[in-house]
Amino acid sequence: MKEKGRKQNGSAAVLILILIYLLIPLAACIVYSLFADWTGIIPRGFTLEAYRSISMSEAFWQALLETVLLCAAPIAVTILVVLLAIYAVVVYFPGLEKYAQIICMIPYTIQGVILSVSILSLYVGSKSFLSNRLLMLVGAYCVIILPYIYQGIRNSCRAIDMTTLLEAAEMLGSSRLYAFFRVVVPNLMHGIIVSSLLAVGIIFGDYVLVRNLSGSTVTNIQIYLYQAMKSDSMKSSAVFVMIMLVTFLIAALVMAGQSRERKK
Amino acid sequence: MKKKKIVCLAALLPFLLLAVMYELLPLAMVVVDSFRNDVTGKGSLGYYRIVFTKLLYTKAITNSIRISLISALIGIVIAFFGAKAAQEQKGKLGTVFATVMNMVSNFAGIPLAFAYMILLGNAGVMVQFGKAFGISALADFNLYSRNGMSLIYVSFQIPLATLLLMPAFDGVRKEWKEAATMLGAKESVFWRKVGIPVLMPGILSTFSVLFANALAAYATAYALMMNSLSLLPIQIAGCYVGEVKIQKGLGGALSVVMMAIMVLMILLTNALARPFQKGARR
Repeated sequence: MKEKGRKQNGSAAVLILILIYLLIPLAACIVYSLFADWTGIIPRGFTLEAYRSISMSEAFWQALLETVLLCAAPIAVTILVVLLAIYAVVVYFPGLEKYAQIICMIPYTIQGVILSVSILSLYVGSKSFLSNRLLMLVGAYCVIILPYIYQGIRNSCRAIDMTTLLEAAEMLGSSRLYAFFRVVVPNLMHGIIVSSLLAVGIIFGDYVLVRNLSGSTVTNIQIYLYQAMKSDSMKSSAVFVMIMLVTFLIAALVMAGQSRERKK
Repeated sequence: MKKKKIVCLAALLPFLLLAVMYELLPLAMVVVDSFRNDVTGKGSLGYYRIVFTKLLYTKAITNSIRISLISALIGIVIAFFGAKAAQEQKGKLGTVFATVMNMVSNFAGIPLAFAYMILLGNAGVMVQFGKAFGISALADFNLYSRNGMSLIYVSFQIPLATLLLMPAFDGVRKEWKEAATMLGAKESVFWRKVGIPVLMPGILSTFSVLFANALAAYATAYALMMNSLSLLPIQIAGCYVGEVKIQKGLGGALSVVMMAIMVLMILLTNALARPFQKGARR
C-alpha cells in the first residue's frame, strides 16, 4: 500500500513538472502584459493599458476580422467538397476510397512550407485569375485542412448506415443526392462541427501560408503579432494573450464535442 | 443507371479539382522543376549539386536534421514518462494534464517564439532573474542558438507526443503487470521486457511524426532566427519569397531533399517497428 502511495506521488510529480515547463512561458507573457515595468525580479505598475491600446487599435480588429473571414471561406468550401466526394465514393466508387484517403493524408505529412511555395511557384506567373493571391491562399487553406475535415466526417459516417438510408429514401421516391443532404448530412452534423473547429484552430494559428502566399496583401492575427513584436513587447504580449484565449477556447470546444461523440 | 454515374462523377469533380490544382499538380511541378534548368528548361542535376556542395545548404540540411532529431528524442522521452504518469494518475490531476496537453498542442509558431523571447530572450525575465541571483546558466542563456531553438521545439513536441502516446498506454494491460509482479519481476524489469516492447510501434510512429513536425516547422524558426541559423524550411521559402526572381530549380531541389528526409524517416521507423509488431517472429 505504501509502495503504491509513493508511486502515485512520483507520477504526480512528473505531471506537475511537465505542466510547469509548458505553462511557464504562457504565464510569463500574461504577467508581462499586465505590468508596466518588469525589468527587476518583481513586476511593478499594474496596468491594463496594453489591452486598452489594442482594443482601440483599428489594425488589430482588422487583422482579427481578416482571420475570421479567412477561416470561413476555406472551411465552407472544403466541407462541401468533401461531402460530395464521400457521397460519390459511397454510392458509386467504393474502390476510390483508398485513393481519397491518400490524397487527404499528403498535406498532413508535408505541411505548410512546401505546399505554399509549390502553389506559389506554379501560379504566380500565370496570366489568368489563378495568379490571384487570395485565391492561392484560400486554395492552400482548403488543402491544409483537408486531412482534418475528411477524417472527421469519415469517422462520423461510420456511426450511421449510409447505404441503407439512401436506399430507403430512393424507395420512397426521393433522389439520392437530395436524400444525402436532407437525411445523411444532418446526422453527420456533429462530426462536421468538430472538424471545422479543428480547422479554425489550424487557420487561426497559421503564419507560413499567409506569409508566403498573400504577399503582404493580407494581415492575419499571426502576422499582426509578428509585426507588433518588433516594436512594442507589452502590446504584443496583450495580443499574445488574446490569441491564446481564442486558441484555448477553440480547443475546449473541440474537446467538449469529442467527448460527447465518445459518449454516444 | 447512367444518370447516377454522371451525378456521382459530378459530385466527385470538385474534390478532384481541388486536390489536383492545389495539391498534386503543385507538388509534382516542384519535383519536375528541381530536375530542370530554370532558364533553358533542359534536364539537369545542377541544383542538387548546389544543394549538396554549397555550405549554406549543407549546413541547412545538417542543422535541420540535428534539431529535429534532438527535439523529437527529448520530446518522446519526456512524453513517455508523462503518458505513463498520466496512466497511473487517474484522478483529477490526470484530467487536468490531458486537458492542458490538448490546449497547448495548438500553440506553436509565432506566439510560442514570442513567449520564449519574453522569458529567455536577451532581456528576458529569466535572464534578469539569473543575473540578479548570479545563476550563470540563466544569465548567459542564448535563445538564438541551436540549443535555444531545441528548447522551444521540445516545448511544442511534448504535447503532441503525449497526446499521441497516451492511447497506446491503454494497451499495456494491468494483468500483465500483475502477472509479472507475481513472478517476481521488478517494475523496471517489467517495463524493459514487456511494457516498452509492446509500446514500441506506437513510440516509433510517434517519433516519425515528431521528426517531420520539427523538420517542417517554419514560423517558430523564422520569428526567432531571422537568418542567423540556416534551416531547411527557411532556405526553401527564401528561394520563392522576397527574391526578385523566383528560384524554382533550387527551391525545388531543397524541397525534394526535405521530402526525401521525411520519407526516409518514415521507412526507417517502420522497419524498426516491424520486429515489435503483433505476431512478428523475433
